[in-house]
Formats: sequence, C-alpha cells, structure tokens
Amino acid sequence: MSTVPIESLLHHSHLRHNSRTCRGTRSFSPCSLNLRSRFTSSNKLLVLNSSIGSATSALGFRSSKSVVIRASSSDTAVVETSQSESDDVVFKENFSVQRVEKAEGKIYVRLKQVKENDWELSVGCSIPGKWILHWGVSYVGDTGSEWDQPPEDMRPPGSFAIKDYAIETPLEKLSEGDFEVNINLNLESSVAALSFVLKDVETGAWYQHKGRDFKVPLVDDIPDNGNLIGAKKGFGTIGQLSNIPLKQEKSGVEVEKESKSAPDSTIERKGLQEFYEEMPISKRVADDNSVSVTARKCPETSKNIVSIETDLPGDVTVHWGVCKNGSKRWEIPSEPYPEETSLFKNKALRTRLQRKEDGTGSFGLFSLDGKLEGLCFVLKLNENTWLNYRGEDFYVPFLTSSSSPVETEAAQVSEHTPKTDKEVSASAFTDEIITEIRNLAIDISHHKNQKTNVKEVQENILQEIEKLAAEAYSIFRSTTPTFTEESILESEDEKPEIKISSGTGSGFEILCQGFNWESHKSGRWYLELQEKAKELASLGFTVLWLPPPTESVSPEGYMPKDLYNLNSRYGTIDELKDTVRKFHKVGIRVLGDAVLNHRCAHFKNQNGVWNLFGGRLNWDDRAVVADDPHFQGRGNKSSGDNFHAAPNIDHSQDFVRKDIKEWLCWMREEVGYDGWRLDFVRGFWGGYVKDYMDASKPYFAVGEYWDSLSYTYGEMDYNQDAHRQRIVDWINATSGAAGAFDVTTKGILHAALQKCEYWRLSDPKGKPPGVVGWWPSRAVTFIENHDTGSTQGHWRFPEGKEMQGYAYILTHPGTPAVFFDHIFSDYHSEIASLLSLRNRQKLHCRSEVNIDKSERDVYAAIIDDKVAMKIGPGHYEPPNGSKNWFVAVEGRDYKVWESS
Amino acid sequence: MEVSVIGNPQTRLCRAELAYRELGFRFGSVVISGESRNKVTFLSQSSNFKDLSIRCSSRSVKCEAVVSDGVPFLKSTPNSRWLASVKLFVGLPLDTVSDCNNVNHLKAITAGLKALKLLGVEGIELPIFWGVVEKEASGKYDWSGYLAVAEIVKKVGLKLHASLSFHGSKNPGIGLPDWVEKIGEAEPGVYFTDRYGQQYKECLSFAVDDVPVLDGKTPMEVCRGFCESFKSVFSDYMGNTITGITLGLGPDGELRYPSHQHDVKRSGAGEFQCYDKHMLSALKGYAESTGNPLWGLGGPHDAPAYDQQPHSSSFFSDGGSWESQYGDFFLSWYSSLLTSHADRVLSVASSAFSGIGVPLCGKLPLLHQWNKLRSQPSELTAGFYSPNGQDRYEAIVEIFAKNSCRMIIPGMDLSDEHQSPESLSSPESLLAHLKTSCKKQRVVVSGQNSSAPVPGAFERIVENLKDENAGIDLFTYQRMGALFFSPEHFHAFTVFVRNLRQFELTSDDQAAEVETKTVNIGSGSGAPSLQTA
Repeated sequence: MSTVPIESLLHHSHLRHNSRTCRGTRSFSPCSLNLRSRFTSSNKLLVLNSSIGSATSALGFRSSKSVVIRASSSDTAVVETSQSESDDVVFKENFSVQRVEKAEGKIYVRLKQVKENDWELSVGCSIPGKWILHWGVSYVGDTGSEWDQPPEDMRPPGSFAIKDYAIETPLEKLSEGDFEVNINLNLESSVAALSFVLKDVETGAWYQHKGRDFKVPLVDDIPDNGNLIGAKKGFGTIGQLSNIPLKQEKSGVEVEKESKSAPDSTIERKGLQEFYEEMPISKRVADDNSVSVTARKCPETSKNIVSIETDLPGDVTVHWGVCKNGSKRWEIPSEPYPEETSLFKNKALRTRLQRKEDGTGSFGLFSLDGKLEGLCFVLKLNENTWLNYRGEDFYVPFLTSSSSPVETEAAQVSEHTPKTDKEVSASAFTDEIITEIRNLAIDISHHKNQKTNVKEVQENILQEIEKLAAEAYSIFRSTTPTFTEESILESEDEKPEIKISSGTGSGFEILCQGFNWESHKSGRWYLELQEKAKELASLGFTVLWLPPPTESVSPEGYMPKDLYNLNSRYGTIDELKDTVRKFHKVGIRVLGDAVLNHRCAHFKNQNGVWNLFGGRLNWDDRAVVADDPHFQGRGNKSSGDNFHAAPNIDHSQDFVRKDIKEWLCWMREEVGYDGWRLDFVRGFWGGYVKDYMDASKPYFAVGEYWDSLSYTYGEMDYNQDAHRQRIVDWINATSGAAGAFDVTTKGILHAALQKCEYWRLSDPKGKPPGVVGWWPSRAVTFIENHDTGSTQGHWRFPEGKEMQGYAYILTHPGTPAVFFDHIFSDYHSEIASLLSLRNRQKLHCRSEVNIDKSERDVYAAIIDDKVAMKIGPGHYEPPNGSKNWFVAVEGRDYKVWESS
Repeated sequence: MEVSVIGNPQTRLCRAELAYRELGFRFGSVVISGESRNKVTFLSQSSNFKDLSIRCSSRSVKCEAVVSDGVPFLKSTPNSRWLASVKLFVGLPLDTVSDCNNVNHLKAITAGLKALKLLGVEGIELPIFWGVVEKEASGKYDWSGYLAVAEIVKKVGLKLHASLSFHGSKNPGIGLPDWVEKIGEAEPGVYFTDRYGQQYKECLSFAVDDVPVLDGKTPMEVCRGFCESFKSVFSDYMGNTITGITLGLGPDGELRYPSHQHDVKRSGAGEFQCYDKHMLSALKGYAESTGNPLWGLGGPHDAPAYDQQPHSSSFFSDGGSWESQYGDFFLSWYSSLLTSHADRVLSVASSAFSGIGVPLCGKLPLLHQWNKLRSQPSELTAGFYSPNGQDRYEAIVEIFAKNSCRMIIPGMDLSDEHQSPESLSSPESLLAHLKTSCKKQRVVVSGQNSSAPVPGAFERIVENLKDENAGIDLFTYQRMGALFFSPEHFHAFTVFVRNLRQFELTSDDQAAEVETKTVNIGSGSGAPSLQTA
C-alpha cells in the first residue's frame, strides 16, 4: 500500500520576512517571521517578494488552517476473520488515522562567551521532532562559495559531512523539552561566518531565514543580505577587510593554517557580542490515531449495535445516516437516537461521541433497527476537519449475507466536505473567493491611491495564481494513482529479455568507474587508462565510465566552463578520442561524465556577479536559475535542488535544452562516447533528462541522485522506502531512459556490515531494501566512487568489508559498478572471480533474487536458482535439494556458490 | 560530484539586482511597444495595457524569454487582434463527478478554478455523463454532483460549457447507466459490434436510435428526456453561467463509429462496426431495396484488421474495393447512418433547448491518420464517405448548419512534423479542409486540443487560432488534472494564455486602469521616465 503524502510536495518551507524596517539599515529590528509551506516552484517570486516587501499578506495562502489527515486501515484480514471470532459481529474494522497538525514554536539562536576566545553558538527549536542543523562556514577572504566545511574541532559529535560544503548535526533533546545543538566556535580559525538552515528529517522541510540561510557573522565585515542573525551594533566600521591583504587568492585551508600561526593579527573580532534571538516557526506534526468500528447483531432485540471508538483527542462528532433498500443514500433513521444527537438539515444526524473517562479518546454506541442495511458516517473533528474514507463516506454494512468486503486500502481524510454538507461548503467556499477577489480589488485601489506601480498588483495576482495552481497540483497529484512496485514489474515483464535501452544497456552490463579523485594529477590519465583496456576487458567489464572531459574550474572536472573545450587535466581531446577508440576495440563501451546541472561563468554581469558564459555556448543570465540569489539568474526557478558553488543551469529554457542536446550529440559523434553518467541530477527535473536521452540516444545512461538516507538520532532507519522512492521517482521522471546509482543499497550495506545488522538487507516484503528491490533494471549498484571513497572519503564503505559489498552487488540484480581503486588493489583476484562468475552464470539486471536468510549476523540469497551467496560471519549453507552446490568464490565473511 | 576549488565570486547586492531587473525589462517594453504601436498587439487599445502585459511577462521569466526569442506568436501581426478575442475554456477532469455523484478532488478543482479565473480564462468545460446522472433507472435523474460544480463555477465567475455525454469512458471508468448496461447484457445487439463479434460497450449503436430498446423507449426519446431534465434543473444557470451545450454524438462524444474499439495503439485504420443485429438487418434491407441482396449479408470481406496496415489488403488500396460499385454501396449506407444519427441527436437537442439562447455544439473527430492515402481509410471506417470523391464532410456540416449548431474540432495542437512518417498522416491539411467546409456553410468552429500532450502544442494552437478566416472564436483546452497543474506544464500554459490575450484584471479595477494611464501619459514615452513610475 503506498500513499503519497500531500506534505511531500510542500517540503520546501520558507521563512519570509514581513518587516520593512530593516531594509537598508544596519540595525536589526526584532524579526517577525512567517512560516509557510510552499510549493518549490514559487521560490523565485518569493525572493522577489521579500525584497519588495509588498503587502501581500492580505492575500495570504491559507494553508495554516488546513489540517490534512490520512487514515489507512490496518489490515484486510481483520474483516475476513471477524466472523469466526464472534457470530454476532457483522463488521469490524480498525482504521489508523494519521493526523497532521500545525505545531507552533520557535527557533532560537544564542551566542555565548564561555571564556575568552571560546564562544559557543547554540541553535535550538522548541517543537519536538527530528531536527538536523545543516550548516557550513565561510572563511575570511572567501569570495567564492558561501559554504565550506568547518574545521574539525568545531564539529560536534554525531556530525555528518555532506560533501565538502556542509555538516549535518542532529539536535539533541534538552531536559526542558527543547531541542538544541551547541557548536564551539574556534575563533583561532579564520571562520568569518556560520550559515545554517534547520532541516526537519521527518518531513524533509527546510527552515530558512527570510528565504535564505541563517547567517551568524563572526567578524564584522560580513555583507548584510538581510539574513544575518545577531546584533551587529558592536562591530566596528566597515573597511577592516583591508587588514587582510591578498587573502582572496588562497584556499580556505591555507588561510586557516596561516591564521593559526598568527591568530590575532589579521582577524577583527573585537565586536563579537553575546546575543539571543528567537523566531517563531510552525511545522506540521503527524499524530497517529485510530478509529475502530464494530457492528454487532444483538440476537435478543435483533438490533444492530454499532460502536465507534477512537483515540482522537478533542470532541469528535459523528455525522451519520442509515441506508435502506440497497442504496447508499443517507436517510434519517427513526428515533430514539443516542445522546447528544441533533438533526442536521434533515439530511443527517450529528452525534457527539462521549469522552472516555481516562481521557484517551471517545466512543459512542448506536443502536439501530435490525432491518437497516448499513450505516454511513463521516467524522467531524472541528469546523474544517472532516474524516472520511478515501474520499467517500464510511460505510458499515449490517447484512451478514452480503459478502462485500470493505475496501481496505487507505482511508483518506481531508478537509474535503462530505456529500451531505455540500451546500454549506459551497457557500463557505464562495465567500472565500469573494473575499479574495475583493481583497485583490481593494489592494488595487489602494495602490492606485498611493500611485504605486500597478506592477505590484500584477505580481500579487501572479503569485496568487501560482499558489493556487501549486495547491491544485499537490492535491491532484496525491489523488492520482502513485507509482507502485507492481506496475513496474508488470511493464518489466512485458519487455523481452534482451532489449537495448538507455536505462539498462543490454541488461548484462558491468560498469567500471575508470578514475578516482587523484586521476587528474598526472595530466596523462587517458594514456594511463588506455594501457589497462585489455585487462579491464578480460576481467569482464562491458562499460567504462570516464571522468568529466570538459575544461573545468576545478581540476577534477566537475566545475565545467566551456563545454566544447575537451582539453582537461586528464588529457587532450585527441588522447580522449584515442582512448575511446582503444576501449571500443576491446569491446568496452564508454560513458562520458556529463555535468549538466551547473556551469561556471566566463564573465561578470554589471553587478559583478559571474553569470555570463562564453565559448561556443555563450549563454547569458537567462540560462541561470532564478532562485539562487548568489548568481542572479534570470531564468526560471530551478526544477530541482541547487548546487551552491556554481550557477545552476535553467533547463526549462528551450535554448538551453537545444544547446545541451546538440552538445551531447556532438560528444557522441566527435568523441565516440556510448552513453552518459549524469552528474548531480537532483538539480533538475528528470523529464529534461528524458529529453536529452531521446536526443542523444545513448547505449547506457546512469544518473547520480544522491541525497541523505533517513536516520533517527544518528542511527539509520530500517525502512528506507522514502529514500529509494525519491530515486525511483527520478528514474520515473526520465521515463526509465536512465538508470540511477543505488545510493540506498550502499547506505544500507554500510549499516548492515558495520554494525553486524544483516537483517537490514531484507525489506518487509522480503526483497532487497534498496532501489534494486523495486526497480532492479534501473538500479546501478555500487559500493564506492570518487566522492564517497578515494582521497575524499565523504562516505567511505566500511573498511575491510568491501568484498562483502562486492559479493552482494556482483551477484544481485541491478547493474553493478566497480570502483577503479578496488580493482587495482589486493582485492583484484577476488573481484575478478566474482566478475567471471556473474558473466558465466549470465546474471543480469533483472535476475530474480530469493532472500533465504537475513538475520543478525548473516544474509543469504539465491539468485536465479543458480547462484547462492552469503555475507556476514554467521553460518549458512544453501539448501540441499535437487541441486548440487559447490563453492565458487570465498573470502572473509562471504561465500558464493554455483549450482552444477 | 565534488568540487575542490570554488572560484566564482558573487556579490550580495540584492537591491541592485532588483534595479537591474527593472531596467532590463523597461528596455524591452519600449522596444516592443514601439514596434507594435497602432497595430494593437494585445487586447486593449490603451497603451498602458500594453505596458501591463509586458510587465507581467517580464516577471515570469519564461515569458520574457519568449519575447526576446521572437517566437512567432508574439510577433505583432494584424491577425493578433482576432487572436485576442478568442475565448479560452479549460476542461474539467472527466471524473469531476464520480458515479456516486460525489465531487472528486473538490478542493483541487476549487483552487484550480480560482487560478484560471485570475489568469483570465473565460470558462470551464464540464463533462456530464449519462451514466452518472441517470444511473439507476430510466427517468430517474440525479444532478446533485454537477449542480454543485456549476455553483462553484458560477461563484468563481467563470462561464460553463456543459458537455452532455451519452457515452461511457474506460478511463476513469464511467460506463453507461446501470439499467442500460443491464439491458445490454440481455440484448447485446444494442452495442456496436465488429466482425469478430466484439462489442463496444461504451456507446449504443446508431442503428437503435429509433428502436424502442430501452424499457420501451428509443434512445432518442431517452436523450430528449435527459436534455429536458438538464434544461429545467439548470434553468437558473442558462445563458448566464452556462454559455454552451455540447451534445455527445458518439464514442468519446465524437461523431464517428468506434472504428478502433479499444485498440489504443491505432496502428491500422480501424474496422467497420456494422455487425450488430440491428445494423445487419438494416444493411440487408438496404441491399434488397437496391437490388443487390447478396451485398447485404455482411460488411466488406477484404477490409484489413485492426493491426494491419490499411493498404495491406485490397479494400483500401488504390483501385481497391472501396472504389468499386460494391464499395460505394456499402460506404454510402454506412456513412448515411452516421449522418442521420447526427441529425437525430441535433434535432432532438435543438428542439429541447430552443429558446434558451445557449448555442449548441457537436464534436467531430480529426481522423488524420492515413489521410495521405487516397482512400483515407480512417475516415471510411469511422463513417465519413461521399461518392465520387466529393467532400466527405459536406453532408455532416449541412446538418450542423440546419440545426444552427457549432462544430468542435479537436487536434488543433497537432502538427504534421510531429507525426510519424509511417502513419501517412497530415492533421494540418485535414484541419484546413474541415475549416473550409464549415466556412462554406457558415458553421462556427470551436477548437480543442487532443487530450494527450504533444510537442509544440501551444505554438500550433496559436497558429490555428490566429487564422482569422477560420473564425474560431472559442478554444477549449483539455484537460485539468495533475499534469495540467504540474509546474512545467502550468508555466507553459500561463505563457500560452498571456500570449493569447491581455492579462486581464478583475472588472473592479477599471479605475486603476485610468489612473495608471495618466501616470504613463504624464511621464511621456521614454524609458528613463518610466522608471520613475
């Protein structure tokens, strides 16, 4: 059963500043923040709006009063077993209700001096939940990136590094109920400011400050973007920057070193003062409740007794009617009615449930004529909140003979007004519209009087339109059938086994990542790699992933500048072409690493912002997304997440897409690439990727959709469905034209191997818990890459257990990718045996896996009935049946068998 | 992906950025208004309105990109005066009202309608299903769900175009009324049937129009009752909120035989649907009356199957059976049933709705597949034919003219270049042909897009609407739903609407308009002075 929560669409929340007073002044007025859940695409307008400071609040998006509730019934079996349980029970059902409420609280930021040069910054939140502080620092002299990793000694225990620009630290619960994190500021480092956003792990929402990151200045020359926190009164005059000459040229590390040697001479911190600031926030909190309904036939009186019981807090009113003569039309039964019942518009009865004595909820008993066929009801929690069953009334059938089982997929509760209340809701709704349009009109005349620009009014209307459309989208989307596992399997089954598609290649592909983080250093990587072509082919690899080939601001290639300049630190364009040719000769296809999310600019605009491009693709700032304020793009809002370090490309622009398609085709033709590894695809909509794949017709393509798994207090959750769903959603958006790296599987392997928790490797349905369990043919499994391992080590696979990882991915469905460093290491021969086994047994991306064991210390599975494997220290032997198993590969804590 | 050196400085001049934006776009506005002066690119003649539109488009950056890219439909041409007067409607989801008369996704529709109203959309098309309203028993109507929707539409201030649908729809699973389906089980002859005996259960056969198969009533009598009930129940809305009524003429509401039944791939040209009991007996009678009793035993034996290429068998090939005497006999008869069905439904409707002052419409299909073949087989299987190569649509258009009925033509978003060459299809030329036929007999044409998204749709629609000769004054965009409101699509739609017309404010802001005008006049026409506004 999968339901897509409405909330997931609203996970980008913004804090918006309403006060006009702080604009252009150096002093800080008390911040008043207004939290809104917003659809992602409204970012751009939001940013504009916050700088205009217009009076849009009159037109406010009325999300605050909506309470969304979902209910899902616990189990189908309940209905079926009910009859055997007790003869007179005719209906019994338990609905679990997820209630989402708005909780209000505050975020606070406190800077405190512990002793001289030892300051502590605390960030806290008063709303319960799993909060994570997502933060980074900027160093003195940094001009490029807003965010950098803080020095090691500033990171509180339990912090995780997110690539090289941020740290995530969970907030801890204090005794008084607040959640807080403390960061000891190392003022001897050259940290100039600390930026952060607060992330709500449960909903994925980000809480920002006035639409930007919170920023706490630690030196006095931080430019004021309106998002600074903390009093700045104490700071001296501007211009201290001149005290640190020539610092811009140096990287953060060097500056740090230097400043350690001479801590006090360069950095001006005399103005640092203690402060404490609070900002109100609100978030949606989910509560789990249930409603249970039991109907009995009383043998003596032949009456139907219905009991409704719930642990929902507060007054619960049952709005009900009975059904006769086979129709589900609501009718009013004859009296007597239960206590606290009133007649509503001659159409229904309203009965308030009695509170239970222990205060844990309420219940009600309804005694009804035995001839009735059923009871229809909806629950009313308050004026705006109605609880119904998947958009329809709850229906309790009384006739035992009718075997109609109640559909038990998911009961949905929403503000959606039930049928009987239609007139009321329509008029209430109408009033709302009239007021809104009137507000617009008033606004307009108001503006007229002030002779202000009509533009602002226009903008209000446009914003309103966008908000309404976003709202409509979120509801429509949540009510249209969601992507389910079954549907994929079905469509997979229809396909013939070997069919080349860009998402899977032949289905029998094995990838080799042909570089690491240091490969650029020699300047002749292409030539070095060529020499290994024969060896890689003989190992059994079919696809090679080459590093990004374009001119780049960073030597590794991930900050591309001129896309048509293919001379890089890895070698020249001719060496590249030659390499591709050599690999083709040995039967290995070659993937180009295409960085499409962002591109470094060649020129500054008149504001000094780098957002104008040169080279053959001389785009202007319309090619840059509008919602990253650092780069002042004039494009549309980003269709994905932003990568902070370079201008993010606006793929919604037709000219951009046309140019990218041309470039990809050119790379196919000129270089001879067979396909793509797509960098940072979180940054833009998967639908564009489909467009690019359709245009460039790759043999194989895989995207890097890398975000964080879900953790509770530092411990990884067992269920990572949300994580793999996001990856699957992306693949789906590409219409399956590209696969995606199975980050979920890697993460779960980490937890399983590191802590000896092999039970994690089977999901509740007994399938692999990663993307490979849901959409195997599009999952590219891996255990390490240039980011996670190599010399960066952002998320290194548990050391010494790599072979267990390979024993898993090289026997399982999905398309496995092996990291260069591992091939040419001590693991060489073991990996070679596993590769040859995979090819020999013809395991492929859609192979069937049967998990035989997943216990604390051992995981075992049989793949396609011909390969058995186990990982973990525990004991396992494949079942003795008709098959004769013999060990094919064996190593530390893993074993793989083939059947003869 | 990783970055080791980050070398892009940025400034944090947020206010400067804003100023820059305004400058940039003022510049744009001056250029455009200079170009279009006296040509009246946009709806209003007042210059400030021109300004308004440019302003708002510069905000929505997508629009601006269009301006500078010079996409055809933003160029000012004399035609755009006509374009601005085209009324734009948007279709509600087919399952707006569920078959138990609940309004589905009420909240989403509500929000969506408000958004469309603010965007300046004229009205909404509401599909009303026979199978929902008259679900339980003959003559027992329940309009409550649709009334609720009409009320919402009215309150939002949009117009409503009601589509009375006498067909069922597989997706979202709304069938014919339960009691009709029950009759159909007992008497399968009421449904269209192909030569394999497969029935098309979403629509009654044209041959039973005047046969009392529905509990002693003919389908036409039932249709009349439905129309009259609709008229009386919705009388308060007629003429003010409801400004158009479309009569469902066949499968999916379109006037045609269900020649493809449920074959979604539509790889072939479809098959003849003349094998139900009533059709066969009509054919037999017709054959006997024309002196060829042997021709009345069944349909053509050599017509291709659903999945076969139309020219793969002898019926549709050049000089094939369709051009023979037999072909003329069969096709004339087959198409006459279609024509007379249209006539019956439209006469019933025009008498039922006479005097209410709401125009009636009927929808034709756009049978563009295979129309580069001389036989144009898709039209033949769907029931469009005329002997000696005359205009196959002439008789139908005449019926529309006779009943003063407007004609809805779908597929205005299709362009030849996006059709696969193998399908030998040309939607553009067929559309042009239909427009000419209608113009000849002064039948007013309304446009629709095809319901599936196609590339370059909006540009193509504008091209079609711009054609003043065709006189299309109303366009219905299909259809609201998750896809419609998805950010990508909704953006594109917004741009489309604004290009179609002026961005309209609510009627209350006439005063504001005057006010801004003076601001503009006072400040002259140059860019620098505008900045002060």
